[in-house]
Amino acid sequence: MHADLSRFRLKLDFMTLARFMPMHLLLDADGCALSFGPTLAQVLQGDAKLGARFEDLFEVRSPGGAVTIHEVLDRAGHRFRIVPRNGLVSGLRGHGQRLPGDGRILLNVTFIDLIGAIRSLSLSDADFSASELVREVLFLAEANASVTNELRALNLRLEGARVAAEEEAMTDPLTGLRNRRAVDLVLDRLCKARADFGLMHMDLDYFKAVNDTLGHAAGDFVLENVGRILREQLRAEDCAARIGGDEFVMVVAGRSDSATMMRIANRIIALIQEPMMFEGQPVRVSASIGIVRSLNCKDPVPAQMIAAADRALYAAKHAGRGRAVLQD
Amino acid sequence: MDALLLRSLQNYVLDTFGSAKWQEVCCLADQPSRTYEPMLRYAPGLADRVGDIAARVLGRPVEAIWEDVGTYLVTNPDREGVRRLLRFGGVSFSDFLHSLEELPARAKLALPSLEAPEVILDEVGPDRFELRCRSHIRGIQRVLIGVVTAMADDYGALCLIETGAEDCITIAVLDTRHAMAKAFDLARPEG
Repeated sequence: MHADLSRFRLKLDFMTLARFMPMHLLLDADGCALSFGPTLAQVLQGDAKLGARFEDLFEVRSPGGAVTIHEVLDRAGHRFRIVPRNGLVSGLRGHGQRLPGDGRILLNVTFIDLIGAIRSLSLSDADFSASELVREVLFLAEANASVTNELRALNLRLEGARVAAEEEAMTDPLTGLRNRRAVDLVLDRLCKARADFGLMHMDLDYFKAVNDTLGHAAGDFVLENVGRILREQLRAEDCAARIGGDEFVMVVAGRSDSATMMRIANRIIALIQEPMMFEGQPVRVSASIGIVRSLNCKDPVPAQMIAAADRALYAAKHAGRGRAVLQD
Repeated sequence: MDALLLRSLQNYVLDTFGSAKWQEVCCLADQPSRTYEPMLRYAPGLADRVGDIAARVLGRPVEAIWEDVGTYLVTNPDREGVRRLLRFGGVSFSDFLHSLEELPARAKLALPSLEAPEVILDEVGPDRFELRCRSHIRGIQRVLIGVVTAMADDYGALCLIETGAEDCITIAVLDTRHAMAKAFDLARPEG
């Protein structure tokens, strides 16, 4: 190939070698150290002694089974992975070869965990050759970490906004109770699960008179009060919703015996019947409630249950208002 | 890029002038959520529009505000990340100046969708540089002035930074070792 290979042969002094390869290790033909690059010397610290044997400095991880540098070179060709025995860095990757002539061996290695090594050995720019991509790798690692952090923060903020929007879409703004959409979802879920629950349909009595005589502000005041009463009388796992002007639906989850249902309904009616003070004036309304229970429906579907509760409510109104009727 | 500038402006105004002023800016800018997300896209030119509004609200020239945003990005201890990313540009201040040309390409490695401005540095004489920056955002040139000024300080270099003709920034480095450079470890301490 080349007429005279020796013409292309370079002679390098140790200083130049150290500058271009701060992580090199030069061994004699027996595998004993002749020179260490300055950065590799920082890795090996006290172990970096001239004459030290390769296998005393490093444990070979790849190629498997190799111990001495000759075994490494013979088995791996030119690429190997080693760990310094002093345990200061996690691993080094490198290549090496026998130099022509007296059989000296030149190895050059690099850090597998660059950032970890810089951190644990407090390395600086001067410890790397200018052609190495150290700053680029560190730049990318940190830029990438900030982008990931920003995205994580953005995700959290968007999730918060989504939850708030969903909550808003399910809430009746005047009373703070759930709305029609929310109660439909709850009923649908409970019916599909064939759960045991009670459904109450409530309509205020004499509410139109309050609106007509005292104005809408008084009407809103009554509705807000009813909302507060329902929230206080029901548990967190229940659901109270305003589904129309003065129409409410309550879902009592997990129990439905008649006595409990009637007790809850009567307590709510009694509280609503207490006079509410609006601008120094007592306002009086009442409420009628129709109740159905899921265990009385052979095949509970939301629409049928609401229709049945509506019939019970009609019966309550018909029986003279201010009372609850349970339809079995 | 508008998003990053808007978020920087937001942090700067919030930290320096307080939430009432920022609220006023957002109100005039029709931004009821009062926050600009650095990872979302905004209409091109929005950063300049909000910058102009901030100038009106704060009663200062918009150029001064963008320069301050640049300085704030580098010097604010809570946002050490920006300063560190810039310090990866080189060992000396002139290394750093030369690295500015590579910065858009580097930034794109981390954030491929970023429409980074084009930065051109000419070495016009010994220790004399001309820096140009091409972007659809007017304010970015001023942000760059603020960043370069703060980084000169970080490297301990004394220099004269001025706007020359055609929006070109002229930088004369008078003394590269005017003061001690601020400490910089290649790897950020763990934790």
